[in-house]
Amino acid sequence: MSIIPQIILNSLIAGSIYSLVALGFNLIYGTTKFFNLSHGAVAVIGGYVAFYFTKSLGFGIIISAILGIFAAGFLGYFLDRFVFRKLRQKKASNMVFLISSLGLMIALQAVTALLFTSNFQIFSSQFTSYQIFGGVITQVEVIIFISAALISVGLFLLLKKTRWGRTVRAISDDEEVSKIVGIDTNKVISQVFFIGSAIAGLSGVLSGLDIGLEPTMGLLLLFKGVIAAVIGGVGNVYGGVLGAFLLAFVENFGIWGVSAEWKDVISFGLLIIFLLFRPQGILKK
Amino acid sequence: MEYLIHLAIVISIYSILGLSLNLIVGYTGLLSMTQAAFYGIGAYATAIAMTSYGMNFFLAVVIGILLSALSALAIGYVLSRFDGDYFTLGSFGFNVIITAILVNWRGFTGGATGIPAIARPSLFGFTFSGNLSFLVLVLVSAVIIYFICQFIVRSSFGRVLKAIREDEKAIQVFGYNTKYYKLAIFAIGAMMASVAGAFYASYLSYISPAQFDINESAFILSIVVFGGLANNKGAIWGAAFLILLPEALQFVGFPSGIAEQLRQVVYGLALVFLMLYRPQGLVGEYKI
Repeated sequence: MSIIPQIILNSLIAGSIYSLVALGFNLIYGTTKFFNLSHGAVAVIGGYVAFYFTKSLGFGIIISAILGIFAAGFLGYFLDRFVFRKLRQKKASNMVFLISSLGLMIALQAVTALLFTSNFQIFSSQFTSYQIFGGVITQVEVIIFISAALISVGLFLLLKKTRWGRTVRAISDDEEVSKIVGIDTNKVISQVFFIGSAIAGLSGVLSGLDIGLEPTMGLLLLFKGVIAAVIGGVGNVYGGVLGAFLLAFVENFGIWGVSAEWKDVISFGLLIIFLLFRPQGILKK
Repeated sequence: MEYLIHLAIVISIYSILGLSLNLIVGYTGLLSMTQAAFYGIGAYATAIAMTSYGMNFFLAVVIGILLSALSALAIGYVLSRFDGDYFTLGSFGFNVIITAILVNWRGFTGGATGIPAIARPSLFGFTFSGNLSFLVLVLVSAVIIYFICQFIVRSSFGRVLKAIREDEKAIQVFGYNTKYYKLAIFAIGAMMASVAGAFYASYLSYISPAQFDINESAFILSIVVFGGLANNKGAIWGAAFLILLPEALQFVGFPSGIAEQLRQVVYGLALVFLMLYRPQGLVGEYKI
């Protein structure tokens, strides 16, 4: 039996998770223009909240997932409200934004470890799996793929077709001018943080269901999302999705034959190649 | 007493790391997140030279320094093509790559389990086996490195670095090729970090890749930000504070695992509050 169908399936699943992270990251980057390093930690906390509700309180998995997504959304909202908005008002440099989001990442990761221990935890190992084109895919992985597709299309429609989407795009183009024409930029940016973080929360819940949860996994999720975003063109919401799948395919085919531990080297190698030769990403914004 | 000597050794090692990164982040304004990679290269080069080739510690340190300088020149050359956030992101990437090489190049680095049984330094028949003599050695090196840093930042070379930080375009107009200056300071910082790595390997007698990962880079950056950007004394204060913090938490009665996590909560939040209310750090002169 050939291994290629399985590699393709794995790439599609990984690409879906990465694109969810990249979608939220890009949405936030588009309006605020800084690399939010706490994005991954927020995603993981979403996963853990869902885990807590289903494991400790016995809630249904769907309800728990929704609670996890909302928890991540609110966390993102509060981070913006109490940290990033203040920094914006001070006209802080990008370095300040980077360091403070790094600080938030470190603190959130440690809080997660304090609350849920630093051990690896799994939701449940009992998921139905299907045979497809000679590869195996679990029910969770089907859901991952479908949610990534739905969220991508949903976000596209939200940004292109609604009045709210137009204000978000206006802020992405020029925050100062948007303020002058009467857009409450702080309010819109907070909403963007809520939505972007909620999408991150979804990716945290889904990868928790698929692989398991660990407080430190946020960093890796973040990096994969950021690399996907850079490959696709930072701030370009759809480019991020394209970048995510390209990254996933390169990674999964790259480790074919060598040890899986080289995966991160491959992804960062890809990042550096893109930064060197095509820093504007595949899709130029 | 033994405990205090231990803390003093650890603080001295991290002071060297803080000083080394302060040259890059504080004085030159390059937000590098890959310092732990050079720290790791120094530690591994020293450990491998000593355990596999039976070399003397002091010779092994020199090899580590050279190797770090070479890798810093290569990495710095690539990074010099990026600016701002992309510089930081790329530097993150190199740290991940170096850690992955340490994990995967099993035959040479011992893989994820690392290298055990690294000896203490010895010179002319005298071995620094006692912690007190080791402390003296580390402390003397830290002081020397401190004075080298002071010398660098006060020299004309240092003034160019500060000018790069304030306004790179302006200093380029005066005919300075800023690329070479940035590469030079990147390599100098890496060489210093490599010395810290050598001491760390020899002191603990055991090293593994996880000690030099991206979290360690974040920690070294916190030392610099905490103490104060562009202030060499600040780097030492930052190291002392962040090393003593978990010890103090344990002293108050928290178990060590929890104290370690609490330290991360405290220093993570401290970074946020510093950025909000005092972006130059406790005693720094440069406000980012």
